[in-house]
Amino acid sequence: MKKEWYAIALIWLGVILFIGVIQLISNHREPSQSVVDISNKPNRIVSLAPNLTEILFALELEEQIVAVSSDCDFPLKAADKEKIGTFWKPNTEAILAAKPDLVITLWFEQQKAVADSLKRLGYRILTLKIEKIDELLTAIQNIGTATDRKAKANQLLKNINSQLNNLQLKLGSVNKVRVLWVVQAEPLRVAGRNTFINELIQLAGGENAIGNTLQQYPPIGTEEILVCGAETIIQSAMGKSDIAEQQKAAEKFWSKWEHLPAVKNKRIYVVEPDTVTRLGPRLCQGVELIARCLHPDIFAQKQNTAQ
Amino acid sequence: MAETLTSGKLTIRVVICLAVLVVVMCLCAVVGTQEISLKKVFAGPGQKPGENIDYEIFVGVRLPRVILAALVGAALACSGVILQAILRNPLADPYILGISSGAGLGAITAVIFGITWNFWGGSPMAVFAFAGALGTVWLVWFIGRFTGKSQVTSLLLAGVVINAFLSAVIMFLTSIAKSDQLRLTIYWLMGNITEKSLSVLGVSAACILAGIFALFCISHRLNVLTLGEEEAKGLGVDTTKTRAAAFGLAAFITAVAVKLSGLVGFVGLIIPHGVRLIFGPDHRQLLPVSGIIGGIFLVIADTLARTVFGQEQLPVGVITAIAGGPFFLFLLAKYSRKVSWLK
Repeated sequence: MKKEWYAIALIWLGVILFIGVIQLISNHREPSQSVVDISNKPNRIVSLAPNLTEILFALELEEQIVAVSSDCDFPLKAADKEKIGTFWKPNTEAILAAKPDLVITLWFEQQKAVADSLKRLGYRILTLKIEKIDELLTAIQNIGTATDRKAKANQLLKNINSQLNNLQLKLGSVNKVRVLWVVQAEPLRVAGRNTFINELIQLAGGENAIGNTLQQYPPIGTEEILVCGAETIIQSAMGKSDIAEQQKAAEKFWSKWEHLPAVKNKRIYVVEPDTVTRLGPRLCQGVELIARCLHPDIFAQKQNTAQ
Repeated sequence: MAETLTSGKLTIRVVICLAVLVVVMCLCAVVGTQEISLKKVFAGPGQKPGENIDYEIFVGVRLPRVILAALVGAALACSGVILQAILRNPLADPYILGISSGAGLGAITAVIFGITWNFWGGSPMAVFAFAGALGTVWLVWFIGRFTGKSQVTSLLLAGVVINAFLSAVIMFLTSIAKSDQLRLTIYWLMGNITEKSLSVLGVSAACILAGIFALFCISHRLNVLTLGEEEAKGLGVDTTKTRAAAFGLAAFITAVAVKLSGLVGFVGLIIPHGVRLIFGPDHRQLLPVSGIIGGIFLVIADTLARTVFGQEQLPVGVITAIAGGPFFLFLLAKYSRKVSWLK
């Protein structure tokens, strides 16, 4: 009877040794794996995210893009490209079948996993973290470098900056409007402070009605709604077809809290989602869209004077 | 037992099952969203990436994934066999006893608190998953013993309660997680198989196979255990030692499986039952055959998960639950007269 216990102990010793050897081998091999050829100009690019696709188009790389995620729908030409699965769950096989020489991914777990397995096969990968406006600007520069479009990238950055400046001039020193940014109505989830939406709101002359929260997009209760004192409520639409209907639904939903300034003054907006949910080259359009909701008077004035 | 199990019979059955597993793995590796030609696969890798895509898809994407699915399936099925034997209860399974959620909690803790140190080759996620699984086993064990003499029922109850508790803690942690971590954990909780590097596969394979082999070495004791505490003691089996060893090993292979693929449900429950209904309850056979069939089951389930909706992949846990439930009911209806628990 004792024999079996010895056998088991021996097997485990073997396993431990085996793991040790594997570790040694894989540690030893690591440096040689990450060598990628950067000198070549990529001719077959695959983009795994809508905002990355928009950046690539903005850098006039349309011909070089061979495949995109099925969520990439802007510009319209992007929808005609080959598809490699969704943004959330890219399909490694489909990416390989597109014969890419550069794959651009975002920095989150599902895409990182795909990027890792492509890297192991020796493909050239560019993984970018785009969760803040700063990171977007750096990402545009990085994509420009990787695709040999540095000049175009600098031009794009300059455009974005000057558009932002123009908008700031237009807004001048407005009073900051308190905004509640609704991500999802039921159950209610809003954008917290540690998000790029918060940055967009600030650029548009607003202030998040929600204070610091643990979560990025916290679910909030009735109490929070009552004390937040939101002067404007903005909701990014789900889908793009029936925004008018969603607007009606939102107005009905919020009518429960009639004492909330935003509800009292009928300042509830359902907006087109793309420019405000994707951090891409259309950043300024997104900021302007928000600014029009926050300061409709300023934009109305400008239109009048222009006429 | 209705039939006597000779070692010849056992060997033949195991070899046949293994052959089926290999065939299924090969077939599933050929199936996928992209069509590939085997001829080109055998031509070997090209000089640089992109030259022989068929080879890259087959060797770089599908093969690791199929192997991984087989390993996870085998580990979960064997773990189910062991738990059902120790607890003498058909409801036992790594999920119901909280071992999986313990491992899950460990892994999620590592992700959410961003622990990145490397511990002796294992990623922090693996180490935490193992610690979580062992901790849960100990807790279930402790409470089970503590609550009274009828160990089997209280052990199961303790497992159910701890599972519910840990699931709540996991929910709490995911709700305070930052959104990018949240995406990971949600996929992970649904059970998710993706391609892993060869070194990860090698280490996991060694751990799981060694665990199953060690369990196989004590499988005849498990037969005696199912007769009941008193009888087992009467037959000269050290029940405490055997239980502890079997429980620990089951926790270990479950932790490895959970770390690899998240919480894939149902495999540990339906496979051992199916095998028991068809081949009989002798653990010397039940354990290896369940392991192999668990592997086959998960390989097929994962192939469905990655092909059924074209390029949009499903979490494999969804497939195992949808396919597994009715299949189990069918088996139960057909063979229910053959079920022998305490015999």
